[in-house]
Amino acid sequence: MKVIIGLGAILGLLFVLPAAEQVFAAGSEVGEYLDRKAAIWGLFYRLMIVAFTVGTVVSGLIVWLVLRFRESNPKAKPTSYEAAGSW
Amino acid sequence: MSGHSTWPEWVYVGVVIALLCYVGAEAWNIERIVEHVPEDAEIIKVTGQQWIWTFEHEDGTKEIGELHVERGKAYKFEITSKDVIHSFNIHDYVVLLDAVPGRVNTVWFSPTEAGEFDIQCREYCGLIHYNMRGTLIVEEKGA
Repeated sequence: MKVIIGLGAILGLLFVLPAAEQVFAAGSEVGEYLDRKAAIWGLFYRLMIVAFTVGTVVSGLIVWLVLRFRESNPKAKPTSYEAAGSW
Repeated sequence: MSGHSTWPEWVYVGVVIALLCYVGAEAWNIERIVEHVPEDAEIIKVTGQQWIWTFEHEDGTKEIGELHVERGKAYKFEITSKDVIHSFNIHDYVVLLDAVPGRVNTVWFSPTEAGEFDIQCREYCGLIHYNMRGTLIVEEKGA
């Protein structure tokens, strides 16, 4: 369990640290104006990549679950309590 | 149902938290950068009223329906309304902010290309809302 939590924390830091670094480094340039269009659309595209990736994984998982654990699947087997008829 | 492996759940929770942190940090960072107005930005007062846009530059020059600016300079819009709520939008430069009576909202931008761009109202403000348009004219420096 500790390994898993540690792994999760490392994964979190891998995402958080670069973002935090960007935050504190940004805005220090002098005489250069932000290209608002590039910044906002860039954010939009990055967040869309996250959204579509998550959407694909979640919907793929749901499709797999439904197909794999349907009653008519030849690989399907009853759970222990179903087999014992104890529910 | 005890005794089964829980590591996939923990990985899932970790990935979700990491993604939420990334999305939140990115959005917060861009918003912070976008809202930081340069000190040398020229102030342009923008007033919306049914159904025209009027502009007043720092030197007192007034324009109606057209706004002349220079490429590469920073401009800060101080946006208000005389009657109902409008919304000041320059689509090509991702400028969009409500014009509210009795309130001054600010947004800034710096045009990167010379040319003519549409200004339009993005909040339904009455019968002629569809035609509450203007033109942003970006000129080269010294033109």
